[in-house]
Amino acid sequence: MGINVLLFGQVADITGKDILKIPVVKNTNELNQLLEKTYPALKSIKYSIAVNKKVIQENTALHNEDTVAILPPFSGG
Amino acid sequence: MEQKKIHKVFIDGPINPGFIGEAIAKHSDKKNIGAHSIFLGQVRNDRIGENEVAAIEYTAYREMAEELFIEIREDAFKNFPIICMHIYHSLGRVNAGEISLFVFTSAIHRKDAIDACEAIVERIKKEVPVWGKEIFTNENSQWKINT
Repeated sequence: MGINVLLFGQVADITGKDILKIPVVKNTNELNQLLEKTYPALKSIKYSIAVNKKVIQENTALHNEDTVAILPPFSGG
Repeated sequence: MEQKKIHKVFIDGPINPGFIGEAIAKHSDKKNIGAHSIFLGQVRNDRIGENEVAAIEYTAYREMAEELFIEIREDAFKNFPIICMHIYHSLGRVNAGEISLFVFTSAIHRKDAIDACEAIVERIKKEVPVWGKEIFTNENSQWKINT
């Protein structure tokens, strides 16, 4: 039971982890609040959020076993 | 159909120039091609204050990136009359002066190959979850930001 949160790049540096298993929260806004409360340094960086591998633009409902990724700005190429 | 053949995009470490030559040679039997366009991204030795970038260490959200590479590929065939296309991107450490991105498009005429190649490179930079950590000559590091 729960939501898998994948952390990358600078976000993984801040949290010291690359995966978190958290209890189900209602939506991505709640997840954000929870993460920024636990890791206040996240407030100072820009990141986007992907739910089940799709980047979301607005608050999105979450369900058991969803995978959420916290994505700092990309720098591939 | 040739264009359905999908290879792995991610390569461990730098992209070898010999591999690029072989990729070109493989197209010599496709005689309807009149133009290839190639983009090569090379790791630059940027100077930041006293420090110089010695290498970039690439990581990715692989599952999402691989889905996006398929989408970018399908869109390229939809939007441009190209005959074939290939994308290779490095993961792990790539030293300054080495190649980390190889995009290769082929078409009947040059403009289609060039336009498709540019569109693909722009989408990779903007949409694909890959991160480069710049490793300095003194072994300090910082996360790169695409401009």
